[in-house]
Amino acid sequence: MHVLQKHDQIVSGIDWSAKSNQIVTVSHDRNSYVWNHEGAEWVPMLVILRLNRAALCVQWSPNENKFAVGSGAKTVCICYYEQENNWWVSKLIRKKHDSSVTSVAWHPNNIFLATTSTDGKCRVFSTFIKGVDKRESKAGTSDSKFGEQIIQLDLSFSWAFGVKWSPSGNTLAYVGHNSMIYFVDDVGPSPLAQNVAFRNLPLRDVIFVSEKMVVGVGFDCNPMIFAADETGIWSFIRFLGERKISSSPSKHGSQFSEAFGKLYGQSKYGLSNDTVEPSRADGVIHENCIKYLSTTLLPSIYCYY
Amino acid sequence: MARVEGFVEADNAEAIITRIEHKSRKIESLLKQYKPVEALKTALEGSPPMTRDERCKSANWIVVHRALMAIKDVEGMFASLDPEYYDILMKYLYRGLSTGDRPTCEQCLRIHEKLTERAGLGCILRCLADTVNTV
Repeated sequence: MHVLQKHDQIVSGIDWSAKSNQIVTVSHDRNSYVWNHEGAEWVPMLVILRLNRAALCVQWSPNENKFAVGSGAKTVCICYYEQENNWWVSKLIRKKHDSSVTSVAWHPNNIFLATTSTDGKCRVFSTFIKGVDKRESKAGTSDSKFGEQIIQLDLSFSWAFGVKWSPSGNTLAYVGHNSMIYFVDDVGPSPLAQNVAFRNLPLRDVIFVSEKMVVGVGFDCNPMIFAADETGIWSFIRFLGERKISSSPSKHGSQFSEAFGKLYGQSKYGLSNDTVEPSRADGVIHENCIKYLSTTLLPSIYCYY
Repeated sequence: MARVEGFVEADNAEAIITRIEHKSRKIESLLKQYKPVEALKTALEGSPPMTRDERCKSANWIVVHRALMAIKDVEGMFASLDPEYYDILMKYLYRGLSTGDRPTCEQCLRIHEKLTERAGLGCILRCLADTVNTV
């Protein structure tokens, strides 16, 4: 087991590239390191991100020649490797975001990047870099320059997190802090958006298991499965962890029951005490909020806070 | 990126208030016919969240409040209320709770308990997180 120690503050994002076997980490200390496995050691290489606020999230691009970093400085850094100087260069997308960039996701074409922000919006940018990316003949990417905004999705009234593309790149999914998940098909000039509200605590991250199935994780400590039916309508299917259906659905663990008990106990109608019983939902594995979800070569890894 | 174009300007507020007055008369007649659930649905329908005008919001709140206080059978009400009304109802419940008036708060708490059972914590979250469409 290796301990990769270099950052001074919380490591807020990490991603492992499967093919080139590099790990990129970003931290609240405004730095990023790319770690290479040399012999028995992981060797860090500092990347000057040119940020004046914390870095919040990072992801390798599909071709693993670039990575994107979202930050609290309302910017996104796109970093690529310059062979001649043996270092990673950071290009900033400074415009458009009104607030911290909470999550970034690469489209399979290695050029489009989706971002979510605490200003509630999800945006797609072009990150085309001359010398690193090849010009495609397809109309979609041919006339986009670096930092150009392709589309802005204004579906959420509260913080947005956890954006991901479907495997084909046709659909985007992201979550809002208001217990909603948004699905956008045909991302482009005329997108098709669906807002799905659900009964539980908000999600923080999502992942596409297939073109029509998404798993979301968040404050309920129990992953939620969403799927699209034949007509393309998305809806909540079930929880991943087994849950016994308790007779009183308002039991959410001892803290909640007590709080609700106090709230309703104020009324002079004197509610019965069975809502105050502390209980835990059975089959729940995680004890705390799940913040990130990713797949690597192993089936899946949950990172929790 | 201004959202002002989505909001109703002040001169349109008069039109909204007139509509609310119409609604109020309809609700009074529904209540006389002992149809409190219908009255509540009418009150919640066409709630003007996309306006910043406080008078419109207050006018609509008075109407909703009237319908809410007339509800005696909370379980029965939920049996016939469509889920699309849950979020807006939750917002009005919190407005009711903020008044501090004893009978209003009691009624709101009773409905809140049942609504949370039905709609889950997500409903509360949506109500709290939405600072743009307030009631």
